[in-house]
Amino acid sequence: METRRQIFHILIGLTTIAFLFLFGRTITIVSIFITILLGLLVINQLYLGRKIHLIQWFISNFERKNVDFPGWGSACYATGVLLLCCFLADINEIAASILIIALGDGLATIIGKMGKISILYNKNKKIEGSAAFFIGSLTGYLFIGPLIIPAAAISMIVESMPINIDDNISLPITLIIFFLVI
Amino acid sequence: MDIITEVAFSINNQLLTDISLLIHNEIIFVGLLIAAVLLGERRPKKIMKIISVMVFAVIIGIIIKMLIITERPCAGMELLYCPEDPSFPSLHALAAFSLMIAFLNKKSFILYMLFALFIVFTRLVLAVHGFVDIAASLAIAMIAYYITDRIWVRYYGD
Repeated sequence: METRRQIFHILIGLTTIAFLFLFGRTITIVSIFITILLGLLVINQLYLGRKIHLIQWFISNFERKNVDFPGWGSACYATGVLLLCCFLADINEIAASILIIALGDGLATIIGKMGKISILYNKNKKIEGSAAFFIGSLTGYLFIGPLIIPAAAISMIVESMPINIDDNISLPITLIIFFLVI
Repeated sequence: MDIITEVAFSINNQLLTDISLLIHNEIIFVGLLIAAVLLGERRPKKIMKIISVMVFAVIIGIIIKMLIITERPCAGMELLYCPEDPSFPSLHALAAFSLMIAFLNKKSFILYMLFALFIVFTRLVLAVHGFVDIAASLAIAMIAYYITDRIWVRYYGD
């Protein structure tokens, strides 16, 4: 279930990057903005007890259990990507950041599940997962060159920390601060 | 100026411009927000939570405005109402979206969504904000609600 969820997570990220380069930043922002609003309408209907078969299927197959509300994971992901697109003007920086969130975070979960060595400051995360996060994130070299190394390292540290904030929110904020400071 | 702001700004309707200018006034806008909160929620604790979300979102917005200086689309157009402070993000949109998200589990959510969309539309009509400012406000409002909700549940329960 979790592996399937992460593969979907990675695919959505890669699709967003392709969309970004095909249609540009503004159309991507408009599309994500509309998607979030439609998503909130769907979440509202689910809250009110309406059964939407396609959405129910999606949630049962791709959503984590014990989330704040139905569709929470997807809402966080879309919010994080929208945040990146709005705060960063360079589409290469946006693409590299989405790759870190999608591929890095996705691989960290898939590999981390099979890991054996816990991180000193967070027993719930594995060193193998963090290594996979860092290596996966390095593919962002295609977009921003050597700058990906510090970006991936900082993101890896934030992802492995025991903070009670969704990775899809904490990672975009970290990457926005990183790119704005750089 | 992006294409969406350009289209909204090109709408030549005096009534719409007048309404937009009314909402542009902070005192009237805050009054509208308070009325909208009181219309949708009667429980004092929930009212406090919604107001906390909006205040927190606006504080985040003000901090971002101080850090990221962007020019307003209306700058240089010699429009009397054009504010001089940075454009990014829209504080009006932040407050309206925070209010909308606070009603996510209610039947009235759709009305609050329409209210928020109308507010952001008036910002584009006046060209005081670009579409990116508005979109960023939606994302910031979601995060502000998420953080406030976490803190609220921790200290005051659900």
